[in-house]
Amino acid sequence: MPQLTLPVAPEGCTLTVYVGVSSDRQAVLRAKRENIPEPIEINAMIDTGGSCTAIDAKKLVPLKMTPTGIGHIHTPSTKGQAAAMPQYDVSLAFVAPSGSFVASSVPIIALPEISNTGIDALIGRDILSKCLLVYNGVEKKFTLAF
Amino acid sequence: MALEKEQATYARELKRLLLNEGKFVLIHGDEVVDIFDTYNDALKIGYERFKLDPFFVKEIKAVEQVHFFTRDLLGCRN
Repeated sequence: MPQLTLPVAPEGCTLTVYVGVSSDRQAVLRAKRENIPEPIEINAMIDTGGSCTAIDAKKLVPLKMTPTGIGHIHTPSTKGQAAAMPQYDVSLAFVAPSGSFVASSVPIIALPEISNTGIDALIGRDILSKCLLVYNGVEKKFTLAF
Repeated sequence: MALEKEQATYARELKRLLLNEGKFVLIHGDEVVDIFDTYNDALKIGYERFKLDPFFVKEIKAVEQVHFFTRDLLGCRN
């Protein structure tokens, strides 16, 4: 089982994640002989309080995607009201020395202005449901196995 | 907001769609295209039929699913 052990950053459990267009969208682009955008490299934080994965909308611009859904979200700042946000289908990957985690087509909610917090994306429990997460607070590190 | 027409179609057809609650509906404009067991099945057919045109994939729910984030994301501009 590949695993990634990293230090806990001041923001929390952060890791480098690669986000690209989904495999289904890639197939369409390939058939139309259009360029397939390169995956973007982003700084993501594991959010065990998040039921799904979210990304800063600005980070998705190079991928030239259109939304294929709408996600309704609650955060502390939505003050009890659900806010509707565009949802995109993407590929998502992170790399460990002994292997890579790759989800070829997953829904992800685009949110405004995450990046000014130093974090580009939040990895929610939808992705974590495919992983084993160990938080070692004593040694200030975490392990993600998949 | 994108996909307004598709969202309106979903709302209009929801009563009928709820016969398949928990499955995933594919909508293009005013048309309910089909219902699928999984998100990935709906997405695949969406791209096969509509290519890069907008289409909408949604899990059918009687009560709208709301995703929770404990971290504050919105309204964080200084």
